[in-house]
Amino acid sequence: MASISIKSVWKYYGDTPAVKDLNLECLDGEFVCILGPSGCGKSSTMRMLAGLEHITAGDILFNDKRINDLPPKDRNLAMVFENYALYPHKSVYDNMANALKIQKVDKATIDKKVKWAAELLELSPLLDRKPLELSGGQKQRCAIGRAIVREPELFLFDEPIAHLDAKLRAHMRSELKIMQRRLKTTMIYVTHDQLEALSMADRIAVMRDGVLQQVGTPSEIYNQPANQWVAGFIGEPAMNFLDCSLTESNGHLHLSHNAFSFALNAEHIAKLNGSAKEHSQVHMGIRPEHVTISARATPEHPIKGEVLVTELLGGDLLVEANVNDTRVTIKTDPDYIADMGDTCYLGMDTSRWHLFERESGVSLI
Amino acid sequence: MATLEAVQYKSRTRTLVTVFTTIFLIVYLIWTLAPFLIMFVSSFKDLLEAFTLPEIGDFAGMGVFFEFTPTTKHYTELFTERNFSVYFINSVIVSTGSALVSVVLGAMAAYALSRIDFKGKDHVFFWIISTRMAPVVAVMVPLYAIFRNLDLVGTIPGLILAYTTFNLPFAIWILKGFFDNVPYAIEEAAMVDGRTRFGAFMEILPLAAPGIGAFIVLCILFSWNDFLFASIIGSGGAKTLPVATRELVTPTSIQWGKIMAAGVITSLPMTLLGLLIRKYLVTGLTMGAVKE
Amino acid sequence: MKDQLTEAFVSTKAIFRDGGLVIDAPAGARNAALSNRFYFYLMMPAIIVLAAITLYPFFWLIYMSLHTVDLGLADDTWNNLKNWTRLGRDRKFQEGWWLLLKYSSLCMFFEVTLGVMIALILNRSRYEKILVTIFLMPMMMAPVIAGLVWYYMYNSTFGWYHWLMQSLGILGDKSILGSSSTAMIGIVMVDIWQWTPLIILIVLAGLKRVPRDQLEANMVDGAGDIRNFFQVTLPNLYPFLLIAILLRFMDNFRFIDAILVLTGGGPANSTKILPTYLFDVSFSFFKLGRGAAIALTLLAVTIVLGMILVRVFERPSSTRSNSGGT
Repeated sequence: MASISIKSVWKYYGDTPAVKDLNLECLDGEFVCILGPSGCGKSSTMRMLAGLEHITAGDILFNDKRINDLPPKDRNLAMVFENYALYPHKSVYDNMANALKIQKVDKATIDKKVKWAAELLELSPLLDRKPLELSGGQKQRCAIGRAIVREPELFLFDEPIAHLDAKLRAHMRSELKIMQRRLKTTMIYVTHDQLEALSMADRIAVMRDGVLQQVGTPSEIYNQPANQWVAGFIGEPAMNFLDCSLTESNGHLHLSHNAFSFALNAEHIAKLNGSAKEHSQVHMGIRPEHVTISARATPEHPIKGEVLVTELLGGDLLVEANVNDTRVTIKTDPDYIADMGDTCYLGMDTSRWHLFERESGVSLI
Repeated sequence: MATLEAVQYKSRTRTLVTVFTTIFLIVYLIWTLAPFLIMFVSSFKDLLEAFTLPEIGDFAGMGVFFEFTPTTKHYTELFTERNFSVYFINSVIVSTGSALVSVVLGAMAAYALSRIDFKGKDHVFFWIISTRMAPVVAVMVPLYAIFRNLDLVGTIPGLILAYTTFNLPFAIWILKGFFDNVPYAIEEAAMVDGRTRFGAFMEILPLAAPGIGAFIVLCILFSWNDFLFASIIGSGGAKTLPVATRELVTPTSIQWGKIMAAGVITSLPMTLLGLLIRKYLVTGLTMGAVKE
Repeated sequence: MKDQLTEAFVSTKAIFRDGGLVIDAPAGARNAALSNRFYFYLMMPAIIVLAAITLYPFFWLIYMSLHTVDLGLADDTWNNLKNWTRLGRDRKFQEGWWLLLKYSSLCMFFEVTLGVMIALILNRSRYEKILVTIFLMPMMMAPVIAGLVWYYMYNSTFGWYHWLMQSLGILGDKSILGSSSTAMIGIVMVDIWQWTPLIILIVLAGLKRVPRDQLEANMVDGAGDIRNFFQVTLPNLYPFLLIAILLRFMDNFRFIDAILVLTGGGPANSTKILPTYLFDVSFSFFKLGRGAAIALTLLAVTIVLGMILVRVFERPSSTRSNSGGT
């Protein structure tokens, strides 16, 4: 198994930078997801790891050994491609056996390993078929099978389940996670789907425009986003952002919006670390599930708003409310009854606030 | 996201391969260009100069190829003594004429074939394409007989019609591919808007226009370069450039200077036209089987 | 019985009315019939012209092959299939087929090998565009002109090609076209010069369609360049190569312009491939009946090749991109 470290890696296509000064460590046996929207450099990063692209600057180390100049065949890794990349003229069996045949492994061992992988992925009855005769899910399992028979030091998965339908995708997520835990092989998984990243990864690396935004466990990424962009990218429905300013009155710091004002508590002030003055213009971020709603004004629901629309999502109800020309999304339980135009009162869990500097988006609290 | 260039890792073999392939490309480049160069340069040489060669094995003496006083007399003689202006105009009229007839008739037929289905359509189709593939020599005799009966031998309309035998099936075959790619919904929309069927057809014609333009050029190229039809059906009143050039070869004397000049006159326009439609060449020359 | 006749009559009438294009026109489907008639009219001019200049000659060809045709000197006479039975004894006819096969195979072998090699190199080259543009120039030249230029270069007293070969010690005093053992190579080279570019173009188009991810998957699986070529690139190229070969084969049957100029079939008939022989029989000896019989054999083979080609055209997976994916 391998530990990976990516050190100050840059990738340019012509004059266009795709990856900028990336530093990322991946421990032995870890499952790391690289998450980001399309064009964020995640695929370039994976292709550099695989040896399918040159590294413009910086180093990639496998087990502390520099591999920049090794061709893919000498890196002992396996990759699953977005479009599966199965060889159409070969059977499932031969697709899976390909790498071992190239390594000149003896026939009996190949047979044993392919059968083992087929068993694991429930492909045994399909071994004689050609890829064209397989369904999407079967093709995908065949592609994974091709990767695992090699018992490589590193798995690279490039959006492997993006083309499956929603139900199968959910199933494959858990399957992949179980498989990785069982094989204990280091795995780097590229995706644009936050659900995949949050549900499977040990750690997530979020990228945007070639720049690494944050690395952390799924819960760190979700609960302590490093900046406003990550906060907005992760979470469905997206986090609410409200234009606010930090003001001081009566010796207390207040967070003021044109519809409300809260006093900051000691914990907030400690986190702000006395720098409130410099960051007087802020965005207050709060996830929809941390906003509460009530039809009547109560001490817990001081902010007045107007219901714009409601959306029932099975177990949850989404309410969009207008608070002094700011839209706020609230996730509440479906019992709440509201009609368009109704007056409503909102409450915010102050311990779940995020404050971001308005200009730079840097997280303050 | 990915670049088109494949990744290559440096190694000794790789360097060797690069050196070898570069040499190979250069040799192939010379092999491709040498006949053009020799044709072009020789067309400006006087008789004796055109026959000068270095000694056998004297590679250093290859420079004699460029040692000559350029003369344009072959070109002027072709036009003053040999009526090449007439042949040139014949070539232009015949090839454009056939191209236009083929593309107009072909576009109509191709459109119809693309829009309807009937029993035996496959057979009609195969018949059309096989007329294009048939060897010219094989059908030349009966065609000549027919043309003679119709008094078309040695006339420009006759030669235009003769070229239509291969240009028309070609046009139908290729243009059908174009119309197949134009969704029927566009015509339906046009008809809903009040157009007639023919109006709807005219409506979608511009969508296929760039392709049609390119294939007019290809048809011109095929007819322009033809020799067999021109020498037999066109003999007499409709002599074209390839035939006229061939006639410069006589049993008693071969006028190389003039032949090379005539070669330049014949090849230059087509080379330029060919480069113009470079993008459509593969599709055209493979009858639509391969697209770039 | 009567009913059947009526039915047949009615349906025949329907076919005539709608130009033979409507098969199951349900009663009252006026619109469909109308629109079909429109398409029918659009199609007619081309079909009539084509029929006049292809079908008619074709039947005439069959007629001629069964008669002694004497160019107006006497009436055509039925000759008990003599034109056909003679083919069995006609050495030059059999030789002609053999030489045609040899000529085409030689052309094909060198053009495909060379074309694939050049295309592979160009596909990785920075100068692909400009080089392809230069390489395809020979295709634009009229075959007759190409023949004449090469004829000039082959000349044993003032031809540059001959000088080069002599200097390299490959050829003696005699021109490559002058000896029956080398003349075939001489005409093959001209064909290679002129038509290898077509193979390059087709293979390049094919190479662009080799799914990149399959190549990459194979690289990750541990394959080197050579293995990658044989395992992924070549299988994906097959349909393109097949098309290229069939097209070239048929063109070799079609175009004899350059050969007529270069050797006229000589020396000692060593380059008298079948179409050239046919040309001689019809236009030098004016044995039109025999010529027709020979022409029909040539047509038959072309049609078989054409059928194969059309089959390849229509294979759904052939030239369209076929990544192993969705």
